[in-house]
Amino acid sequence: MKRLFLIIMIALLSYAFLQSKNILSVSAGVAISLFGMLSLEEGFRFFAGGLLDKFLKKLTSRIYKSIIFGAVTTTLMQSSGLVAVIAISFISAGLIGLAQGIGIVLGGNIGTTTGAWLIAGFGLKISIATYAMPMLVFGILFIFQSSKKLKGFGYILAGLGFSFLGIAYMKEGFEAFKETIDLTQYAVGGFKGLLLFTMIGAIATIVMQSSHASLVLILTALAASQITYENAIALTIGANIGTTITAVIGSLGASLDGKKLAGAHFLINTLTGLVSIGLVPQFIDLIDLTAPLLGIRENDYALKLALYHTYFNFLCVALFAPLVQQMVTLLNHIFVAKKLEESERDDVLFISDLALDFEDTAQIVLLKETKHLYANVFDIITRGLSIHKEDITSGMDIEDIIKIRNHALHVDMDEFYEKRIKDIYGKIINFAILAQGKFSDTANKKLIPIKNANIRIVEAFKASKHMQKNMLYYIESENEFIKAEYNHIRRNLIKQLRNMQLIFNTTEEDIAVLLLSKLKLDAQKYDIAANKSLDNLIRTNKITYAMATSLMNDTTYAYTISSELAEVANTLFIHEDSDLKEGREALILNETEVDDMTNNLNKRSIA
Amino acid sequence: MSGSKFISKIGELFGIAPENDESKKKAVKELVKKLKLRRISLKEELQAETDIVKREALKDSIKIIKKQIKKGKDILED
Repeated sequence: MKRLFLIIMIALLSYAFLQSKNILSVSAGVAISLFGMLSLEEGFRFFAGGLLDKFLKKLTSRIYKSIIFGAVTTTLMQSSGLVAVIAISFISAGLIGLAQGIGIVLGGNIGTTTGAWLIAGFGLKISIATYAMPMLVFGILFIFQSSKKLKGFGYILAGLGFSFLGIAYMKEGFEAFKETIDLTQYAVGGFKGLLLFTMIGAIATIVMQSSHASLVLILTALAASQITYENAIALTIGANIGTTITAVIGSLGASLDGKKLAGAHFLINTLTGLVSIGLVPQFIDLIDLTAPLLGIRENDYALKLALYHTYFNFLCVALFAPLVQQMVTLLNHIFVAKKLEESERDDVLFISDLALDFEDTAQIVLLKETKHLYANVFDIITRGLSIHKEDITSGMDIEDIIKIRNHALHVDMDEFYEKRIKDIYGKIINFAILAQGKFSDTANKKLIPIKNANIRIVEAFKASKHMQKNMLYYIESENEFIKAEYNHIRRNLIKQLRNMQLIFNTTEEDIAVLLLSKLKLDAQKYDIAANKSLDNLIRTNKITYAMATSLMNDTTYAYTISSELAEVANTLFIHEDSDLKEGREALILNETEVDDMTNNLNKRSIA
Repeated sequence: MSGSKFISKIGELFGIAPENDESKKKAVKELVKKLKLRRISLKEELQAETDIVKREALKDSIKIIKKQIKKGKDILED
């Protein structure tokens, strides 16, 4: 379908170019301008990674702050699309709430109005191409520099240069049109015209994927008197609606909250658009009344349209800023997370391409998805021990759990791996590798340990799977000695899993730091004790050789589960966003310190 | 907030200045304080505990905390 649309577009444009050089000039202007926008966005991305996300986190605590943030960043970057992408990516990562995201989108709408004023007041009144040329030359010069910041600055400069050049081409094309053909003869008046041109504006924006580019096109056409003022207003309304479709399409790969934000953007602009269509005559009167106060001449329709665009977007904010909380409630009702059935295949919850845009987002998303994978593996490890995950969190005495769960619980580990682990694990590793290739070494220092934590989680699962077969057999064995040994393995792992849950859930830093060290110590102690016990059982012939081999292997698997999960807990805890992050990392005992402690305890027990 | 502190905060915000050691030491100091309190409460728990296994676990925890407090003090003295 997409390809067919592309072929039709190419054929239509080729035919139009053969018919009229002016259409070629206008289209080239649009293309150059769009390329400029892409370059501008690329440039801001170089700065966004380290800067914008920090501001976003600090300056969006309240709705009004979010609106100001959205307005300022969109004004600076001249791209509401990029700001929306940032907001969606931060919402997906859970860094900001949906209400703050809606605030940013509302602010972004105000920010776009500055672009219309710049084009109408500056771009169409002077020979803009004169400024474009040096910008392009210096921009390209900077792009070839190795410094990331200079490169980013180069992209911004070149982006502005291309945008200016695009406007110049569009202006030239429409001016030439004026001499040969009058497009206003296709103008449609009345309510029918409003609806028709709103639709054209929306479609043009969806095709160009930029409301800014649509606005430039509308303003240049209006300045060259190729469209009527009323139709230009309708096109502007359409552009504001069309831009939300782009965001909706863009959010298809985003998380549920990302989809909610795109839905909010669509609702806000479409509803304001519908209200505005009904109020166009009143708006025209208001503009006629207020334009002279701003020094806008009566026949300067480009500036009047910029004023309309401003009124439209302020109306949008006035209508929806007081309703943000209600909107959040509505969207939470519309977009409900699907509860996963036991038999269904699980998928990633946070990872999306959008999260790859910024360092901080990528790290947080990776961390959250790792916790998701851990939760699934935690579930299956408990089942592998023939207990339920609720037993771990229940607070029930471990001895009581062992007593109650004294029958083997059969579960297909391979099927579970296929449905709940494989895809998520693959996507996490893929995401981490892509992020590693994209971000700085500093960011990689945080990403690599989280990626490795995932490998450890899956290693723990594999060990659990290997252990399960004997576990099922021996916890119902008639040989009390082997049964006791397997229950000992269960007891130890239940304790470890319980401590891990405590680490993830506690708000007390000192408890977490203590438990993390304890996890490592217990894993070591258990390994030593289990080997001693095994030696005794073999020497006293209390278990058969086959049992001894199984027990030996499964003790190793239990140690693998224990030690791998201890490392996972360590990594996830350290990389959790916290003011005490530095301190907590420094005080957790390392391998050598734990070894020293176990050796001391061992010596004491021998003595 | 003093001028230099303000500049270093802005520097940190813009990612052009590394986070200073002071913030790390402050975090360690706070954590050490909490760990000391935890050690006291664990010692009280140990005195009241009669179960051998649980007493062993408490003893281990106290030993770990002791080592962590020592680690923290070493960092603070650096």
